[in-house]
Amino acid sequence: MASEPLLTVDDLLLRKEGKALLQGVGFALRPGRFYGLIGPNGAGKSSLLRLLYRAERASGGSIRFAGRDIGTIGRRAYAARVGALVQEPVSLAGLSLGEVIRLGLLPLRLAPADAAARTAAALATIGLADRADDDAARLSGGEQQRLFFGQLLALDPELYLLDEPHNHLDLHFQYRLLDAIRRRGRTVLASFHDITLAARYCDEALLLDHGRLLEQGPLETVLTPQRLAAVYRIDGHFDAGVLRVHGPV
Amino acid sequence: MTARRGKPVLLLVLAGLALLLAGLAGVYWGTAELSWGARLEALLRLPGAERHLMLIIWEWRLPRVLMVALVGAALALSGVLMQALLRNPLADPYLLGLSSGASAVATAAIVWLPAAFVASIGLPLLAFAGAMLAFLVTLGLAFSPARGLDRLVLILAGIAVSLFFQSVSAFFLHIADPHATRAALQWLMGSAAGTVWRDLLPLAVALPLVALVSLRFSPMLDAVLLGDERAAALGVPVSWLRSGFFTAAALLTGLSVAGAGIVGFVGLIVPHMARLLIGATHRRLIPLALLLGAIVLVLVDLLCRIVLAPQELPLGVLLALFAAPPFILILRRVRHGI
Repeated sequence: MASEPLLTVDDLLLRKEGKALLQGVGFALRPGRFYGLIGPNGAGKSSLLRLLYRAERASGGSIRFAGRDIGTIGRRAYAARVGALVQEPVSLAGLSLGEVIRLGLLPLRLAPADAAARTAAALATIGLADRADDDAARLSGGEQQRLFFGQLLALDPELYLLDEPHNHLDLHFQYRLLDAIRRRGRTVLASFHDITLAARYCDEALLLDHGRLLEQGPLETVLTPQRLAAVYRIDGHFDAGVLRVHGPV
Repeated sequence: MTARRGKPVLLLVLAGLALLLAGLAGVYWGTAELSWGARLEALLRLPGAERHLMLIIWEWRLPRVLMVALVGAALALSGVLMQALLRNPLADPYLLGLSSGASAVATAAIVWLPAAFVASIGLPLLAFAGAMLAFLVTLGLAFSPARGLDRLVLILAGIAVSLFFQSVSAFFLHIADPHATRAALQWLMGSAAGTVWRDLLPLAVALPLVALVSLRFSPMLDAVLLGDERAAALGVPVSWLRSGFFTAAALLTGLSVAGAGIVGFVGLIVPHMARLLIGATHRRLIPLALLLGAIVLVLVDLLCRIVLAPQELPLGVLLALFAAPPFILILRRVRHGI
């Protein structure tokens, strides 16, 4: 028997400067499943995630989390249950790695010992255990991405929203960090450009194009050769978790 | 290299002691050649203390030292808040035009409004309104829907707004009565001379209030350092936080300008000094910046009094001299994207 959806999106609309960035988007996320958000540049993946982590309000439609409209849930309470990995360039001058991880625990009211334990565990998972007191400004792009992953792992929300989680990461950490999230059995909605990586993790894929949701389902049924041609403008097919591209693009 | 360079408690205690010493130097320096016992008697208002010394210390020196300490601390806090919320290491009440906006409105008040009104709560409030107006104009000029707030465009807009309000002030001074002009001009260059106890009230009330609220919200201010998107995802009401603390920063700037005229660079340099010493976490940064701001301005005010004694230099002149080297250093760090 299917469980109740954790998150339900209905007829979502986002307009900016007279342009519809998202239109008529509707889907449901069931607990414990890993969803991949795929689509070409400008399809609306980041815009959709921004609405879900409440950086912006939708122009229309509804978003319900655990049966409640998200506008009626307090910001802090929502942030404790729905966490996000965000793409946003930033300088972390003056903050230590440990301090950045602890900031991820802001939505929770934890005892200092509990916060310290979670911070240490997260630093170990991201492979920066011995650098808790280092200046975060000196991290490389990949290390910074790992740090923000660690922030999210320390918080461990019910729903993980990941905007291009593989960005800047080497192969080892792409798999290590996504595996760490999957092991926790939480619900995940992650945007991917790497279809092979998406195939390894996603139970289902949501294909966005021009602000509309074209299809939701297993990756191989969503990414038919016709859709690969129409949406991604490539001649190829999807075969046993691997995208095979025919000829030059 | 570690992010936290010193032991926070030790640093704060040392800074507190340094402020105390600077304050005592500010109060005592240049008083008549008298023994330390006599000076202490005067400060503690013991019976048998020298009457004229008591008068100098209590009616002249103490209010002045307290005013520059409050102004230094207020401008430093204002700078900390603006730098955090704009994520711009160059943000400062002086560079973004707030001080000039406050002074233009205050100059108009000094030269045209009844002196009794200016002497009352009127001037600080008008200066606050001027600071807020200038800040909004700067933000409006710098913001573009496509690019948001570019950090260098913001500073250029601030400088433009600052120049505009400075010429407004100059225009007011030019067309006003020469007697009023002289008083306004002296005050404009930055001076706490002639401060009386009553003048301290607005900042003495507003500064602790803003400092406590800032400390209460310090984890949210830290979260904004990670970027607006991340802060929003962590449940921080970014727009509310920004509007609230921008207003608070303008209030502190306005009250500072009303208290001691335009005092540049403290809001820029002191937060950087504090950050280098103690890191960027606001729970530690705010107290240290408050103390350092007060120390710096008490010492500079003291120097202004003794360098050309018995004449006094305006605060702004010496400050600009001291601020130039660290300012260049900060500019170089910004250029390297730190």
